[in-house]
Amino acid sequence: MKVSGSYLFPAPPEQVWALLNDPKRLAKCLPGCERLEPDGPDRYKAIIKFALAAISGQYSGSVELSEKKPPRSLRLRLEGKGTPGFVKGEGKLELAEKHGQTELRYTGEAQVGGMVAGIGQRMIEGAARKLIQQFFESAAAQLHTSPDEEKAKR
Amino acid sequence: MIPTAFEYHAPKTLEEALRLVERHGDEAKLLAGGHSLLPLMKLRLAAPRFVIDLGRLRGMSYIREENGRIVIGALTTHAEVEASALLRSKCPLLPETAAEIGDIQVRNRGTLGGSLAHADPAADYPAAILALEAEIVVASTSGTRTIAAHDFFVDMLTTQLRPGEILTQVCFPPLGPRTGTAYCKLHQPASGFAIVGVAARVTAQGSGKIEAVAVGLTGVGPKAYRAEAVEKALHGKKATPKLLADAARHAAQHVDPLSDLHASAEYRREMAAVFTRRALERALARAQGKKA
Repeated sequence: MKVSGSYLFPAPPEQVWALLNDPKRLAKCLPGCERLEPDGPDRYKAIIKFALAAISGQYSGSVELSEKKPPRSLRLRLEGKGTPGFVKGEGKLELAEKHGQTELRYTGEAQVGGMVAGIGQRMIEGAARKLIQQFFESAAAQLHTSPDEEKAKR
Repeated sequence: MIPTAFEYHAPKTLEEALRLVERHGDEAKLLAGGHSLLPLMKLRLAAPRFVIDLGRLRGMSYIREENGRIVIGALTTHAEVEASALLRSKCPLLPETAAEIGDIQVRNRGTLGGSLAHADPAADYPAAILALEAEIVVASTSGTRTIAAHDFFVDMLTTQLRPGEILTQVCFPPLGPRTGTAYCKLHQPASGFAIVGVAARVTAQGSGKIEAVAVGLTGVGPKAYRAEAVEKALHGKKATPKLLADAARHAAQHVDPLSDLHASAEYRREMAAVFTRRALERALARAQGKKA
């Protein structure tokens, strides 16, 4: 399955880049992410509890960032295994400045297998789109709130 | 093929059911006909802690006319909708749609309310409910509220229903004069789900001028939707085969079609246009009293 699209963040590329490379804040944006722990340079272990209405499942896997060209582009690799099946995906994220905002464009390919692919075939693409959208929306919210939170902590 | 353990409740009244969903919130799933929920549970794609079986509620399965409107109870099965004499004469779109759902076993067990609440992106009823401009009544411990079909479907498997609410009734006006409806569907041959399903409602004058039109589509994108661009292209115009075909080209406008093993996005877009044209032609012919 191919996925591609774009999202406009109300912040300059440097801030979006910093968010994508901060595992603590990134974990808050990944839908259902229960844990995101460093596992070597630019590599994280993740536990994600996926829930979409009636359908749910827990996945454990890894997230890897590579080919980093700050603050312009990076490659993202995801792998997850869980009770309902497995997910593997790889994609490229590109950031471009647009009037002080950031347009993030992504293209990638994902493979889904196991039970979830058998019964859920019709729904996989819709679910993927929804999760990507949720990710971007919470990332945008993170960008919006983080400076104040940081200040509050100090 | 055996679900994870869950706690089973079989309330006898709606009030009792509402208290249970209020108490258990997200951890509970409602069981109506069970033809969407149970397969998911058996494959462990769904593992609710509580299952609240609505099957013993009395008085939630009916089709009747009330104050000039048709009302259907949420637990009415597809087979009952399909066979209803009242619907066949006053709203033939619903029996026609129900007849296209799954197979006999599914139609004997599956319910109107269950199908709408589950909001499968390829379910048949949502297209018809949109074309009828129906209203969906939901109850909670704090009362009832009514949601227009147009607002009800939010995203894949997601509706306006809030935790603690139960869908109780669907209501809509009976078919007006000079009005015809049709449901045209491209089946996925193995599952019977809609690759594309189109429900059309057309009101036309004797001259062929289209007075009112509503088109609902399912199966194309993550949720069922009204094809407003198609409706706009037809409204107030004199119906000709070319006008219908041209208007139908807008069927998947502003929609990013899904793609899966059975149909690519391009194919879905094309079929949305083809089946929209067919549904419009058939609905128009019926509005004009012709056989179709």
